[in-house]
Amino acid sequence: MKHPLGHRVLTFLAENPLFFLLIVMMLIVQALTGALLNPANLRGVGLDAAIIAIAAAPAAMLFISGYIDFSIGSVLALSGVVAGLIMTQGGDPAIAIISAVAVGSLVGLINALFTTILGLSAFVTTLGTMIAVRGIAQLLAPLPVSNFGSSFGYLGVGTVASVPLAIWIAAAVLILAAVFLRRTAPGRHVYAIGVSREAAYLSGIKVRTIPFVLYILSGAAAGLAGAITVARLNSAPAGQIGQGFELAVITAVLLGGVALSGGSGNVFGVLIGVVFLGVLNNGLVLLNVPNFWQNVASGLALVAAIALSLLTDRIRYRLVIIEARRLVEADSAMPAAVTAGSGER
Amino acid sequence: MTVSLTDLTKRYGATTALENVSLTIKSGTVHALLGHNGAGKSTLIKCLGGSIRPSSGTIRLNGSTLAHLSPRSAIDAGISIIYQHLGLIDHLTVAENMFLGTELTSGPFVKSRKQVAIAAKSLARIGSRIDPSTPIAELSSGQRQMVAIAKAIQRDAQLLVLDEPTAALSPVEARALGALVGRLRSEGLAILYVTHLLNEVMALADEVTVLRNGQAVWASDMRTVEKADLVRVISESSDTAPRDTHVIDRSGKPALAVTSIDTRADVDSLGAEKSTSLPIEVYPGEIVGLYGLIGSGRTRLLESLYGARTDSRVQFELNGLGATAQAPRDALAKGIALVPADRHKQGLFLSLPAQENTVTSVMSLLSRTGFRHVARERDVFNDVANLMSLRPHNGSLAADRFSGGNQQKLLISRWVNQASKAQVLLVDDPTQGVDVGARGEIYRVLRQLARLKGMGILFSTNEPEEIMALADRCAVIERGRVSQVIDVSDTNAEILLSTIHPTNTRPTPYSEGQLV
Repeated sequence: MKHPLGHRVLTFLAENPLFFLLIVMMLIVQALTGALLNPANLRGVGLDAAIIAIAAAPAAMLFISGYIDFSIGSVLALSGVVAGLIMTQGGDPAIAIISAVAVGSLVGLINALFTTILGLSAFVTTLGTMIAVRGIAQLLAPLPVSNFGSSFGYLGVGTVASVPLAIWIAAAVLILAAVFLRRTAPGRHVYAIGVSREAAYLSGIKVRTIPFVLYILSGAAAGLAGAITVARLNSAPAGQIGQGFELAVITAVLLGGVALSGGSGNVFGVLIGVVFLGVLNNGLVLLNVPNFWQNVASGLALVAAIALSLLTDRIRYRLVIIEARRLVEADSAMPAAVTAGSGER
Repeated sequence: MTVSLTDLTKRYGATTALENVSLTIKSGTVHALLGHNGAGKSTLIKCLGGSIRPSSGTIRLNGSTLAHLSPRSAIDAGISIIYQHLGLIDHLTVAENMFLGTELTSGPFVKSRKQVAIAAKSLARIGSRIDPSTPIAELSSGQRQMVAIAKAIQRDAQLLVLDEPTAALSPVEARALGALVGRLRSEGLAILYVTHLLNEVMALADEVTVLRNGQAVWASDMRTVEKADLVRVISESSDTAPRDTHVIDRSGKPALAVTSIDTRADVDSLGAEKSTSLPIEVYPGEIVGLYGLIGSGRTRLLESLYGARTDSRVQFELNGLGATAQAPRDALAKGIALVPADRHKQGLFLSLPAQENTVTSVMSLLSRTGFRHVARERDVFNDVANLMSLRPHNGSLAADRFSGGNQQKLLISRWVNQASKAQVLLVDDPTQGVDVGARGEIYRVLRQLARLKGMGILFSTNEPEEIMALADRCAVIERGRVSQVIDVSDTNAEILLSTIHPTNTRPTPYSEGQLV
């Protein structure tokens, strides 16, 4: 069943409208400033995007399963502070990184216990941990800790094959997430839980275990992002780092086509969402647009992206109808099928 | 007011749900609409209520045509539909429900006290003494029905459409409803009474129309109709898929034997009145029907067997070994699977592809070292899609693009594909929302699974015709207990009907019963 090229292009367009917007935006910014594509700028944009992507991959999986995590930014701060404190005490960089990830996992575990086991609202629980964990970070380091040494700093600013280490890490995280979602049974079950938790339960799917693990992964990834962030800054101001980070992650994930109601989305979309947001902000900086306008632009971009996805849903629906007609013609024995269900709902 | 439908037709793609149906409902009469699931009854009332638009044909009210009916304009025109689910909101009070969308306000504020007073009057008009400040959640199904009717009356309904109104009612409540219908009729309302229970038609109706496969096949004035006539028409219209003459081998151990049905809720609600329940046995290759009304405990029993309820557990034997299921996962591991009644909410993952819906539960079994074996998943899907004659045979199409019957096949295929270990299949209301053609297909599929694969099948239904068409034996369930087990070759639909609707507890027409 090979479709004509036009059909496939149209389908790709309908499924990835943001990808084309991203290309258009990059061309415009490059044409206006000429600075977007120079290596130093790309490295900066890439590093920002990489840190968001690391946290966004597991967060997107949580979203797809119908849960949410607001604590990501605070976890980043707490983990960053812990890693920073360990380094200022003369600790080993490896220990610092592992501790950051462990602290993040611990917060994730708490989120998981309250939401998946006790059945509390994910919104309320993670909003609570978001506030509390930020407080703990500030308690641990009332004054910014800094100067962590160059070996730890390598995590934030080092390059491998002239690409920042964090980008390699982000690539690995994204690939792992994509493989998990597409190629493993629990990965597919993430979607099933998001579409209908009750149907998933009745199908024998582990409706608690899967989101439970995803919460821990989300915390761990935010912890890793925290270690990278403080390594890059060579400082860990507990009140500032990760402020609004959770919103950036959520925005990127939604931009990438993950439904807040669960059940749909994929890692490629998330990657595009993250890069789109990064390029948008960078473009505005390069165009000397004042700082506050960047927030306005990100917010509008989000709303526009949701509107766009509604539009493309309709295009996709048309394509499904065309596909269905084709099948009806191919299989004349089919009496009711396809079109019957749609009218009744 | 006289409502007449002329040549009403509704098509969904290639399927015709309603074909040139004409009928007239006069004021001061009860017009009964009879027909099986999928005969077109609900399509017809949805057209009347403006929630779906007929493909052709007209709806006239006192001679003037109602074009482009919407739910709002239908209500404004005096057409009130009381669907089976009643459309009441649990968390709101009776009065709030009755004024939903038409709240009495002064400025931005709702005049609650006035609403309560008017609601009380409307309820009193139909002889009900329900307190209008009670939340709906605290009412019995009979009381809810009363509230829904009072709401319609309050909105000046001239045509009242009742969709299987007694399906969830106790005999006493059904009797009270029958009396109310008689009273409303004498007040001059036109009533369209949708049912599949012949006794109700005999007791209440002035006129009757029988739908079959979307067509009005028979209509008559009830004065000249004997029950035997109705039985004849209905039995002609039942889906006469020939019963197979398969002989069940009951010499071995039953695939499933349910010995004790004790649920906490039953003990609570019935207290001392705890009678014993007869055992249900399902042998390999056998199909047993669990026959009872909605609310008789049939769904609860099936869900308890499957471990899907926390409030009740059921002891059972699988091939002679005692067991209980703690959770669906547990039941599946033991070889029991459940096809739930609510396909959309509890069954399918509507936005996911058909193939994924099919292999959901066996994906892990098909995996190699943690990774999905996509080729084998496709083989499993193709194999079961052939077995089920799934239309269209397309694994990448989302489940919500399939028709009701094919969705049901998809759901069944989750449990009966070659990778599934299910030996006992529980099916809750297998043909709910399935059109007539697909109904026969579902029967064929279930029969095939029992006869060829040797599965033991226990399904529930409230339609005697379904028992006759599909089951080898029938367990009658009432108030959570199995009261009779009948060999289907020794019975017929009428006898079955009378087992759950003993004639002396059916509606006595037009006598003033006590309305709760």
